[in-house]
Amino acid sequence: MTARVIGRRLTEPSFAFLLNVPALLAIVLLVGYPIVYSAWLSLHHYNLKRPRLFRFVGLENYVGILRSEEFWSALQVTLLFTALGVVIVVVLATLIALLLNESFPARGLVRTLVLIPWAIPPVVNGLMWQWIYDAKVGALNGLLVSLGLLAGYRGWLSDPTSALLALVTAHVWNALPLAVILLLAALQSIPAELYDAGHVDGSAGWRLFRHVTLPWLAQPLLVVLILQTMLAVRVFDLIYVLTAGGPGTATTTLVWQTYLTTFDSLDFGLGNAYAYTVSLITLGLALLYFHLLYGRGEFEA
Amino acid sequence: MKSGKRRRRTLWLTVAGVLVAAYFLAPFSWLVLTSFMHESDAMAVPPRWLPDRPTLVNYATFAAPGGTRSIVGSRAAENTMPSIVNSLVAATGTAALNLALGILAGYSFARLRFPGRSTLLFLYLGSRMVPGIALIVPLYLVIKTLGLLDSLLALVMTYLTFTLPFTIWLLKSYFQGIPRELEEAALVDGCGRARMMLRVLLPAAAPGLVAAAMFAFMTAWNDYLFAVILTSSMAAKTVPVVVAGFATDVTTERTLMAAGGVLAVVPPLVLAFLFQRLIVQGLVSGAVKG
Repeated sequence: MTARVIGRRLTEPSFAFLLNVPALLAIVLLVGYPIVYSAWLSLHHYNLKRPRLFRFVGLENYVGILRSEEFWSALQVTLLFTALGVVIVVVLATLIALLLNESFPARGLVRTLVLIPWAIPPVVNGLMWQWIYDAKVGALNGLLVSLGLLAGYRGWLSDPTSALLALVTAHVWNALPLAVILLLAALQSIPAELYDAGHVDGSAGWRLFRHVTLPWLAQPLLVVLILQTMLAVRVFDLIYVLTAGGPGTATTTLVWQTYLTTFDSLDFGLGNAYAYTVSLITLGLALLYFHLLYGRGEFEA
Repeated sequence: MKSGKRRRRTLWLTVAGVLVAAYFLAPFSWLVLTSFMHESDAMAVPPRWLPDRPTLVNYATFAAPGGTRSIVGSRAAENTMPSIVNSLVAATGTAALNLALGILAGYSFARLRFPGRSTLLFLYLGSRMVPGIALIVPLYLVIKTLGLLDSLLALVMTYLTFTLPFTIWLLKSYFQGIPRELEEAALVDGCGRARMMLRVLLPAAAPGLVAAAMFAFMTAWNDYLFAVILTSSMAAKTVPVVVAGFATDVTTERTLMAAGGVLAVVPPLVLAFLFQRLIVQGLVSGAVKG
């Protein structure tokens, strides 16, 4: 693209900058400024219940977090929920995407049905699973008992272990379509020549998958991993409707703890410090993925 | 011999396909079936899977709130339809602005060389690393300062910034997949840059645009956290806020909630079904190549 094409008055860099002004303005105002402001708040003692006591305390909030039991418990719940959620989503999504890339009758219909959970807001999703898990009239109890797999009705959301698993199940169902769509798109973009070359080599089945499909999927899988990790770490609406962090603190994730601190205790200083800790953990996980996948040099950026 | 093997393969694939379809369909169909039941049937033990006396009474309550039956939580029923309209405005506005701003920025990354190009792209994507809950308090203050609390414009602006990074990235990748020669030919023919974009580039990028718009629409439609903090009246309350209102109210009838849930899902579901093919196509040349 030469200067002539762009016009007489503008150089290429200034034209590019001009194109980015609207997007930049929006992001700086509504993300950039809030990020800086909440970092600033996190260094203060600031509780809305006692607003007069606003003062700079340095890293005190962060030290407090690291010393509190709530943090370590919430961190454990978050990591467990995220690990379970992401692993299940990625494995299932890969299998489903591979299936939907084959040809069989009614494939188009299945591809359409896969999108259902994507269109369901997490709040509605939470509502739906709440009834499925219901201790008195729930579908899960009804189904398992009538199949003879369960002796009597159980309160799935009142036992710490089953509540966390119930939450993971509901989240996976909601988050799966996005991963399937991305991976299906990746599979469809594999050039047919690659497979032809594989066939000429005499590779078949598993070998073809291992040497052609999987390397091609490496980068899309990284994208899916990062997106899904961010989704799982951030789960809020679902917890709000389904478990409210309970029973006890069994499903109290860092985001839920942030919410409680900020909007229940109205401790904005500590709340923002929590929020920042969550951001740092997300960033750390993303960097870890990059390191694991790019670091090995398995594919080019 | 070979065709027998192939037939068996097709059979297994079909069985797997049916299982996948059932998995995605079952929980939602239970919600839909419940929405056509009378409350007493929905509370039956063991559960009745199919409504044996199907009724539209739950949906009728939304159409004429308060008229058909007096219920606890009728306020929520009254607010559902207006909140769907609010959500439609907010989500459509978000999607439209996303395209406008995303096309400009995406084009610059796809076609122009400029200093700080990768830093800027990294900045956009990095802004998504911060979870929403970390932004909510300062964002509330910004919106308040602008005098936009309890307005759909505030929601559109908020969702725009959350969805824009992904849109820019997706459109950048999609534009990069379109041969440059197409544009250059149009420019040589004497088209101005703006006309070239409208006539040549954007039609060629249609699937990418649809995919980007759909992702933005869904994000805006699904959000609860920001909507509940930034809105306070029916001037701007969206569907998730109203649905959460009766979901956390134990006295509301279950069948009525089910009908509300179904209504909240219909618009995005229709869009997803309509554009299913284009969404996947849009990602084929877009996001997955990075």
